Amino acid sequence: MLINCPYCGPRPSEEFTQLGDATVQRPASNDPKTMDQWFDYVYLRDNPKGRFKEYWHHGGGCRSWLVVERDTQTHEIFGVTTARDFAQDQKKGKV
Amino acid sequence: MSEAQLETALTGREAPGDLAIEIRELTTRGMIDLRGDAGDGKFMAAAKDVLGLDLPTAPRTSAAWGEVQALWLSPDQWLILCPRARTEELLAALRQALAQIHSFAVDVSDMRTIIRLEGHAARSVLLKGCSLDLLSPDYAAGTVRRLRFAEIAALLHIVSERPDVLDLYVFRSYADYAWEWFLANGRAVAAIQPFGQQAVPAV
Repeated sequence: MLINCPYCGPRPSEEFTQLGDATVQRPASNDPKTMDQWFDYVYLRDNPKGRFKEYWHHGGGCRSWLVVERDTQTHEIFGVTTARDFAQDQKKGKV
Repeated sequence: MSEAQLETALTGREAPGDLAIEIRELTTRGMIDLRGDAGDGKFMAAAKDVLGLDLPTAPRTSAAWGEVQALWLSPDQWLILCPRARTEELLAALRQALAQIHSFAVDVSDMRTIIRLEGHAARSVLLKGCSLDLLSPDYAAGTVRRLRFAEIAALLHIVSERPDVLDLYVFRSYADYAWEWFLANGRAVAAIQPFGQQAVPAV
């Protein structure tokens, strides 16, 4: 599987480590009433078949965090962005 | 009292004469790890004042000014190379210039061991241990990149082309392993034809 790192170009997946779902968002409130949201955020993860956005760390290269959208069934990769850009897009509500 | 003496990881090692490449350890180089925000004009200007060069911001590149070089490591990290004797002076100057700026500079001269590979077969030998397309024009002189080399983390700097001079930086504790790897794999170079019609560079 080749991941097209924005800094290093296409590199084999052995150089990367995967963290998991990139779309979960940390609850804004610390209020105990939001415990359910926190439970979801910390423990619950989907295991989708198909398109999935996840964090990858390019430890064997530029040491950047990336968000890779890939198909969990075919390993086809649809797009790679840096985690920084992804977070900014998320804030603007684009993702 | 005995004097403290610098001893590098590969002190006393000499490469046998029958290798396809020449390898030796570079022992007189000082290294400084510099981190800061490349988008911060103040940081870039302060670094330039001290080092005399613009820190490279394009991925996988390097810059040089006299005996000081800067290698791009990641979007906010550079490895500064200088003669070992000048490291302290340069580090002090950097720290002073960057005092009010969110950044850091640390002397990492003894963190990595540098193995210099020379000769027309240098790329072919290195290819036995990594997955970079070293025969492509992307890997011109000045290119820097981190890689997985023979299962360990390494940093490659292409110093010059034709004749090829490559510097391979490995962490000190892996120096022995990397050296032995070259002794074991550097003897005969098979003509590498990875896929299709790709030609091996002319000797």
